[in-house]
Amino acid sequence: MGKSIRKRKKYTAHNQKSAYLFIAPSMIILSVFVFIPLIASFVISITDMNIFMKDVRFTGIGNFIRLFADDRVINATFNSLYFTLLEVPLQVGLALLLTVSLAKNNRYCKMLRSVYYLPFVCSMTAIGIVWSMLLDPNMGLFAYWLKSVGVETVSFLKDPKLAMPTVIAVTAWKGFGYTLTLLAAAVLNISQSLYEAAQMDGAGSFQKFIHITVPGIWPTISFCIVTTTIGAMQMFDQAYVMTQGGPLNKTETVVQYIYDRGFQTAPYDLGYASAISVYLFVIVAVMTFVLRKIILSRGEETDV
Amino acid sequence: MRKKLLCALLGTAMCMSLLAGCGKGAGEQQTAEPEASADMAGDNAEAADIAEDSQDETASGEKVTLEFWNVFTGSDGDILRQIVDNYNKTNTDNIEIQMDIMPNDQLQQKLPAAIATGTAPDLVLFGVENIAPYVSNDSLEDISDFWETTGADKGNILENVLELSHVDGKLYGTPMQYNVSYLYWNKDLFSAAGLDPEKAPATMDELAEYAVKLTDPSKNQFGLALPTNATYMQFLWANGGDADDPASNTNLLDSEENLKTLEWLQDLTVNKKVSPENITGSEADTMLQAGQIGMYMSGPWQINGLREQGINFGIAPCVAGSAGAFSPAGGCSYVIPKGTEESQRLAAYKFMKYWLTDEILKEWSQKNGFPVWSKTLMEDPEIQSDEVLSSISKATEIGRSYNLGYSLASQIDNDVMIPMFEKVMTGAASPEDALKEAVEGMDKILAQ
Repeated sequence: MGKSIRKRKKYTAHNQKSAYLFIAPSMIILSVFVFIPLIASFVISITDMNIFMKDVRFTGIGNFIRLFADDRVINATFNSLYFTLLEVPLQVGLALLLTVSLAKNNRYCKMLRSVYYLPFVCSMTAIGIVWSMLLDPNMGLFAYWLKSVGVETVSFLKDPKLAMPTVIAVTAWKGFGYTLTLLAAAVLNISQSLYEAAQMDGAGSFQKFIHITVPGIWPTISFCIVTTTIGAMQMFDQAYVMTQGGPLNKTETVVQYIYDRGFQTAPYDLGYASAISVYLFVIVAVMTFVLRKIILSRGEETDV
Repeated sequence: MRKKLLCALLGTAMCMSLLAGCGKGAGEQQTAEPEASADMAGDNAEAADIAEDSQDETASGEKVTLEFWNVFTGSDGDILRQIVDNYNKTNTDNIEIQMDIMPNDQLQQKLPAAIATGTAPDLVLFGVENIAPYVSNDSLEDISDFWETTGADKGNILENVLELSHVDGKLYGTPMQYNVSYLYWNKDLFSAAGLDPEKAPATMDELAEYAVKLTDPSKNQFGLALPTNATYMQFLWANGGDADDPASNTNLLDSEENLKTLEWLQDLTVNKKVSPENITGSEADTMLQAGQIGMYMSGPWQINGLREQGINFGIAPCVAGSAGAFSPAGGCSYVIPKGTEESQRLAAYKFMKYWLTDEILKEWSQKNGFPVWSKTLMEDPEIQSDEVLSSISKATEIGRSYNLGYSLASQIDNDVMIPMFEKVMTGAASPEDALKEAVEGMDKILAQ
C-alpha cells in the first residue's frame, strides 16, 4: 500500500519535469515574440525613440498627452469601435444561424461547413486584393454586372460612407466559417436526449434553439465573441490592403495609425507609435475584461 | 474526439494568422514602381550565383562582396538586374554585387534598424527624398571624396540633378536617375473627342476644357485622372502659390493664389467629374493602360507599360498657369549606409562610377524612357533623334524641387498636403476650410 503511494509521487514529480520540458518551446517562443516585445513597447512609449534609434530621451507621459489631443487617434478609435460593434455580431450571428441547419454529420453539411471554412484558410491580403478588384467601380466585375442590368455603379470602397461597411462585410465573410466550425462542433456535443425530451414537451424548433442549443454551446459562443472582438479591435490587413485607410481616413483603424506613425511617415516616431499601442492594449484589455464579466454572469443565469 | 478537432482547428487558425502576417506589404504598391514581383529577388540570387562562378576563374585580387538593396520592384528592376549582372561578370576588380529588391515600405522599415544594429547593406538605391531624413539621423556616409577618389567627371552632370544628392553642401549619394512629372495624353481618345491628337493642353484652362470634352461616363472614360493619394504642386506653382520654404521654415500655404487653385481643382473633380472618384495612383496607372483615361500626370515609369499595352500616347510638359509651368522633380541616388567598411565603400564607389558612364546611362534612359542628364550624352545623336526621349527632355526643363532634401517632407505630405488635396477633390470640405486646416497643420509641423 505504502509502496504504491511512493511510487505515484515519484511518477508525478517526474511527470511535472517533462511537462515543463514540453511547454518550454512554447514558452520560449511566447517570451521572444510576445512578452519581451510587450514590455519593450511599454518602455519605448515613454521615450522619443525614432526608427534610427539615436539620441533616445526619456519623455515621461509626453507621448500620452499628445495622443489624447490627436484628432486622428480619436478618429481611429472611433473607426475601430465602429468596425468591432458591427463586425462581431455579424460574424457570430451569421455563424450561429447557419449552425442550426448545418450541425449534422451528414455529407452535405460537412461539405458546406468546409466550403464556408475555405475563405478563412486564405490570407487576408489575397482576399483583400481579390475583393477590391471585384468591387472596383471602373474595372471591377460587380460594376460591369450592375451596368449590364442598367444600375448605376456604386463605388463600394471609394465612398466615405460605404467603405467601412464594405470592409466589415468582407471580414465577416472571411471569418464566419471559422466561428461556424467551432459552434457546429459544440452543437454536436449536446446530448440528443435533451432535444427528444423537448420534443415530447411540444417545443418548436425555435424554442429548442433558444432553450437548448444556445445555453448548451454558450461557453463556445462566449469564446468566439471574445476572440473575434480582440481580433476586430486589432484590425489592420483588410483596410490596409483594400482602402489604405482612406477615403478621408474613414477606414483608418488604430493599428493602421500606429503603423503609419512608426513606419510610414518620417520622423518614424516609434515612441509615439508605441504610446498608441499601449493605449490600444488598455482598451482591448478593458473590453475583454468587461465582456467576460457580462458573458460569464449571463452564462450562470442561463445555467440556473 | 471533439476536443482534438478543436485543437486542430485552433492550430490551423494560428498558422493561418501567421501566414497572413507575412503577406502584408504585398498589397501596397502606390509609389514610383507599380508592379511588385516577388520572385525577382529569387531569380536575382540565382543570377548572382552564376556570376560568382565565372568570377572565381577570371578576376584577380581579393574578392569583395557588396550587399545592395533597392526598391525597383517594377519592370525597370529587370533592366537594373541585367546591368548589375553584367557588371558582376565583366568587372576586373573582383567585385560581386548581391542585389536584393524589396518594396519601398519594406526597405524603409528594415534599413534604419539595420544601420542601427550594424547589419546594413553596403549600397542602397532609393528616392532622393529619403536622403535628408537619413542624414539628419546620421545614417549615411559622407561621400564628398567620391570625385577625387574615383576620378569620375563631376562637371559632366547637370547641376540641378547633382544638387539632389547633397545635404548642407556635402555629397551623400550619386545620381542614378532623375525625373519630373509629365502630362501623358491618349491620342486616340483626343481624336475621338474631336481634339487635335498632336496638340497637348498648354494652360490650366485648356487642360480643364479638354478634360471635360474627354469625359464620357457612359463609356467609363475620364478626361483627367487625379489620384487622391498624391500632391498637386504643379497646379499650386502654376498660379504662383507654394506650400512651404524649406530654407527658412516658412509656411507659404495661406495665399489667395492657392485658394484660387483649390477652387479650380474642386470645380474639376466635384462639379465636372473629370476624374474617377477617389482613385489611387496605381489604379490610375491601370486605367491609363486600359485606355480609359484621356490625360494623366505621372513620371517616366508609365512609358514601358503604355508601350506594352499599345496605347497611342504623347508626352508633354505640365500645364502653365498665370505664373508659368512647373513640375515636381524627383530621382533616385546610390547611397552608402553609415558604418560600411572602407573596402566595401571603395568597391561601391567603383560601381557608382560605372553607373555614371555614358554607356550605362544611355542604356537606362533608352530602355526606361528616363531623361538624360549627362552633358556629353545630351549631344549624342541617337538620344537626340529618339522621339520619346526628346519630348521628355523638353518636359524635364520645368522641373522644380518640392521639399527635396527637407527632413520634414514626408510629414508635410502625409499629414497636410495629401489630406488637403483629398478633401478638396472629394468635396468633403470647401477649399477655404481645407486650406485653413492645412495652414494650421503646416504651422504645427514647422514649429518642431
